[in-house]
Amino acid sequence: MSKESRMRATVNQKLTEMGERERLKELLRAKLTECGWKDQMKAHCKEVIKDKGLEHVTVEDLVVEITPKGRALVPDSVKKELLHRIRAFLAQHAT
Amino acid sequence: MKMEDMPLSGPDNTRLEALVHDIYSELVEDACLGLCFEVHRAVKQGSFFLDETDQESMKEFEIVDQPGVDIFGQVYNQWKNKECECPNCKRLIAASRFAPHLEKCLGMGRNSSRIANRRLATNNNMSKSESDQEDNDDLNDNDWSYGAEKKAKKRKSDKNQNSPRRSKSLKHKNGELGGSVSSEPYKYNYNTGISYETLGPDDVRSLLTTQCGVISEHTKKMCTRSQRCPQHTDEQRRAVRLFLLGPSAPSLPDADAVVESDSFDIPDGQTLMSRLQWEDSPDISPTDSASSKASTNHSDSRRPKKKKTTSLGLNSGGIGGIGGSLSGGSSSSQSNISLSTKKKRPKLSAPSITSIYDDLN
Repeated sequence: MSKESRMRATVNQKLTEMGERERLKELLRAKLTECGWKDQMKAHCKEVIKDKGLEHVTVEDLVVEITPKGRALVPDSVKKELLHRIRAFLAQHAT
Repeated sequence: MKMEDMPLSGPDNTRLEALVHDIYSELVEDACLGLCFEVHRAVKQGSFFLDETDQESMKEFEIVDQPGVDIFGQVYNQWKNKECECPNCKRLIAASRFAPHLEKCLGMGRNSSRIANRRLATNNNMSKSESDQEDNDDLNDNDWSYGAEKKAKKRKSDKNQNSPRRSKSLKHKNGELGGSVSSEPYKYNYNTGISYETLGPDDVRSLLTTQCGVISEHTKKMCTRSQRCPQHTDEQRRAVRLFLLGPSAPSLPDADAVVESDSFDIPDGQTLMSRLQWEDSPDISPTDSASSKASTNHSDSRRPKKKKTTSLGLNSGGIGGIGGSLSGGSSSSQSNISLSTKKKRPKLSAPSITSIYDDLN
């Protein structure tokens, strides 16, 4: 629906304009490092690299291997907090 | 730009939630992508695998996660209750106190040198004040030393107030004081200086023959150091003697005897006088002793400021005492002569003394 897509576009635009997107990004990165997600992912990367060989590994290889696992390994607390913040932003600025 | 109104109804709600989730997913993917780029760059630059070595060393330095041990596998308070033997003094010291003890024991470190210097300073002062009076046995008693009292107050309380050394030194000084040992210490009790007000004329005289005796301005006490004490000049000593004993006070043994004596030496006269007094004491009859003492006191109390006259007056008083014992009748005349001599000039008193000698002879 174009109305919805228009709405989405607006929301995204607002998010970026107000700097909330950057703030959320930083928050997420900090939280993931804090809870050890990053180290876990790095260990996984090592395995992938050892599999593929050091010389020939590409970014695509890594992305393909890492992203699904990364999404799954995010702890629930971090997820909940982020969702909460996004909702709050929308409630404040979308209505 | 204004947003459209978004009522939170059912289907809109789900759409909103979906939107929220979509935004969230975007953020997470962004994070993952960032990580991938970082790792790929590290791999390609060769910094990714730097913290890995061979399997053996990896096992050796593996993180330990046991209770009671730290991550290196060491026990935390292993040395807490242990005692170490000091290599210097062979004592068992607690481990936590070992380092400071060693510092003091070996004499290294800042504090130990400071303490040692302070101790040396106080010891030097104590020994130095004692050596000042080595030339006079009577003043070897620590309590009498005037200078050392200022520096080491603690020593005073350590010494026994009625120690035998005290009374012994007093007896040696003057035979008359032998009986009054109990009262004497109280005079010297409070400070080691001597207060001239509490002493009789004989005491003063005897003190002044052996000690410096200069009266300090602020404490009003006499200096108990030797005759050659460096703190006071001969002028001061002379002035004190004049002040206390009148003009016929005995002069200082070193300087003035040669200058002023007419017929005989003053120190000889002094010893003669004191000897006469000691020998006299059993012999003099009460009236004679009273007269001799009266004349002596008289000469002591009022004086134009001539030492010589006083000494001669005393001598004549003493001799008059002897004369009195030999011939009771002439005592009054001799005492008269002694009374008259004190009013005359020094030179005139000499013939009167020779006349007394003639009487004796």
